[in-house]
Amino acid sequence: MVFSSLPFLFFFLPAFLILYHLVPFRAKNPVLLVFSLLFYAWGEPVYVFLMMFSAFVDYLDGVLLERFGNTILKRRIFLCSALFINLSLLAFFKYADFAVGIFNGLTGLHIGAPGIALPIGISFYTFQTVSYSVDVYKKRIPAERHYLKYLTYVSMFPQLIAGPIVRFSTVQEDLNSRRTSGNDLVNGSRRFLTGLMRKVLIANQIGALWDSIRADAGISMVTAWLGLLCFTLQLYFDFSAYSDMAIGLGRIMGFHFPENFNYPLSAASITDFWHRWHISLSTWFRDYVYIPLGGNREGKAKHLRNMFIVWFLTGLWHGASFNFIIWGLYHGVLLALEKYVWGRGLKRLPAFLQHLYTLAAVVFGFGIFTFDDMGEMGRYFPALIGLAGHPLIGTDVLWYAGNYLPVLAVAVILSFPVYPRVREKVYGSGRAFRNSVLLFEGALMLFGLILTVASLVRDTYNPFLYFRF
Amino acid sequence: MTEDINKNREYDDVCFIQRLTVFLACGMMLFFSFAFFAGEKKTFSENENRVLAGTPEFDLPSVRNGQFMKQTEAYISDHFPFRDGFLGIITEGERLSGRKEIEGVYLAKDGSLIESYVAQENTGKVITQFFRFSENLENAKCYLMIVPTAVTICRDRLPDYCPDLKARGRHAGPAADHGDPDGQGFDPEGQESYGQESVINEIYEGVSGRIVTVDALGALKEYAGADADTEDRLYYRLDHHWTTRGAYAGYTAFCRAAGMAPSELTDYEVKTVSDDFRGTVYSKLNDPHFGYDRIVSCEHPDWKLKVEYADSGEVTDTMYAPEYLEKKDQYSYFLNNIHPLVTITNEAVPDGAAAVVKDSYANSLIPFLAVHYHTIYVFDTRYYKGGVSSFINEHPEIGEVLILYNLGTMDNDTGIGGIY
Repeated sequence: MVFSSLPFLFFFLPAFLILYHLVPFRAKNPVLLVFSLLFYAWGEPVYVFLMMFSAFVDYLDGVLLERFGNTILKRRIFLCSALFINLSLLAFFKYADFAVGIFNGLTGLHIGAPGIALPIGISFYTFQTVSYSVDVYKKRIPAERHYLKYLTYVSMFPQLIAGPIVRFSTVQEDLNSRRTSGNDLVNGSRRFLTGLMRKVLIANQIGALWDSIRADAGISMVTAWLGLLCFTLQLYFDFSAYSDMAIGLGRIMGFHFPENFNYPLSAASITDFWHRWHISLSTWFRDYVYIPLGGNREGKAKHLRNMFIVWFLTGLWHGASFNFIIWGLYHGVLLALEKYVWGRGLKRLPAFLQHLYTLAAVVFGFGIFTFDDMGEMGRYFPALIGLAGHPLIGTDVLWYAGNYLPVLAVAVILSFPVYPRVREKVYGSGRAFRNSVLLFEGALMLFGLILTVASLVRDTYNPFLYFRF
Repeated sequence: MTEDINKNREYDDVCFIQRLTVFLACGMMLFFSFAFFAGEKKTFSENENRVLAGTPEFDLPSVRNGQFMKQTEAYISDHFPFRDGFLGIITEGERLSGRKEIEGVYLAKDGSLIESYVAQENTGKVITQFFRFSENLENAKCYLMIVPTAVTICRDRLPDYCPDLKARGRHAGPAADHGDPDGQGFDPEGQESYGQESVINEIYEGVSGRIVTVDALGALKEYAGADADTEDRLYYRLDHHWTTRGAYAGYTAFCRAAGMAPSELTDYEVKTVSDDFRGTVYSKLNDPHFGYDRIVSCEHPDWKLKVEYADSGEVTDTMYAPEYLEKKDQYSYFLNNIHPLVTITNEAVPDGAAAVVKDSYANSLIPFLAVHYHTIYVFDTRYYKGGVSSFINEHPEIGEVLILYNLGTMDNDTGIGGIY
């Protein structure tokens, strides 16, 4: 099911929340589990069993590690078999077609691709279960004794299909005992509603603009860059809105999920960007790949090798296609350059130029990211430098920017930490002023909600971008 | 690094206003949930002119293949309380935010709504089918009229800088891509112009020699130029069809191609039969801001008509169906909506017969043909399953066959394959 859909908002969610808050605490986890499985089965009626199996493997691994893991050899065998099963499932369901394609290309054979449909969210829940197994192996956390409780963690519907990648250690305590305070309810709801509006009123609108620029064969160079900026904004608002909704829903139930975005488009370098974008993924790679490989502590050569591995995998994680790998390595190269070549010089530049460099590099990177069809990329990219008959500037930019000016303006403002600063000012001034601003904010929220519902009624189906990953 | 986030903690204590906002939002959402269950479920949307999704059927196979979920989502969306009102709200919001194009519809400078044109995928197939159809005809002479839509004829009213004003327009991109392998849409000879004019030229070149082509585009442009200052529109403001006057322009183009003298518009009794028409393009946006259209009918004083509908067996003495003026779908006033075969006899004309293979654009043009023929056979190939060419060959009195489609929806007529 999709958060920004009528069945979820008007039937699934009210039914769940009412039931969840009516039952006593010992029934809360079972209610959450049942609704989570329904939520997943709504989109994947068959693969829901795959997810349950994947969770069972890691649950079993945890129990085995604790019960019988008395020698290092046994512990390694337990861990490796769990990792092997999980990563094989991910490889098979996500990358089999891609691998067969590469194999055919290299050998000139024509082996039929298995044609497997990607199970929604498999990349996310596989990473969660892997982090659990490793953490139990490293004795960072105790193993969970009850399969259903562990399954509740893996399948928890707010974060199941598009993150944030919540680690078991984060929610273990909450799973056993949690309470929802009044602040949790109100702030969780506000967070959820904000995310919903960011998705429907900003991401979808700018996505429509990107679609029409992409479909236009005669764009000028300026419009081509506007197009990539639109895709960047769409992806940011789409994905961070999903995290907003997940975090908000979690809070309504008393869970505390980690933040996943921190104004990434306002980063001053690519290094900074990756501390702000999809934080739960980059810290996952840091903790479970980069540091185990030795990080940066074993010399420059090994450091570069480790970076290559991490960014190759980061790219590959995003999709079974060459453009994602190129995108990952592109960021890896930029990070290495910032570390060893121009990082210090960059910091001496005026802040404005630092941000411009970062934004341009990020936006161009998402240009690689968005075209999984190399042919289409080949048609679009010449426009970015005004080749292939594309003019440098044209009236088309007036058309596209003009049509979406208010949405673009709001999106750009919300991409920078303007809101926290305004809030600081407002909370710092008098009570009457604060109340009138909050009143305005409330009215805006209700008005936005009506527009959101109207927009959802019009375009019934508009899934999140990160469902593909 | 996460200083902006951690500051949130300071602002965690909620006040009454924030609580009230959340309560109102929840109340609103619950209200719609209840309204959905309480509301009456219509089976047909007059406004959108389509059958709404039926109650989803629950069984194991349809759950396993996801059909049940899809049906449920369609059902909820189609029967959502105040659906029509919500459509209007979002359009109005987008219009006020400065949008000049909403859901593929241009908000034209004169306040009318004009659908943008995306070159379609099946145009090549359609040409082949016209050609094969004409080859199957034994005696009758075949004419082809492809009518451009308002986006081409009313260019001067399109919003400034819009893509349809450019030479290199849009192609069916990834969003509009339905199984077209190279994602390019219809590509006439690899040219980079996708405008309607070039698509029509391409189609006409493909059938030349076999089929007489009718220059509706030229005639419409002539009328558009001549009537620039008058209120007489060639296309409806809020519907994808041409008006009676547009149809008259098309009719003169046919007469020119067939070597006939067209009747003058002044020969007809021209009557405004409706001034509250809101057509298909309006329904896409559903915003009352855009107003209404007028429908005009033309009746010739000499007509002695008998109109027979083969499917229902109904016989009338008029080509118009006034009962539709009371409904949403007022364009069906012309030739009574959809019928596989309509036979129109005009006793005032001694002889001559023609056949029209057509879409709904022809419905407002056919009345003008009545003064030239004793009998006109009108086929809708989506529903006529008998084989149009064999029917025509069995009726040797048919001298002319006119194939008439508009370019905007030509691809939708999957029945074109059945015309020969």
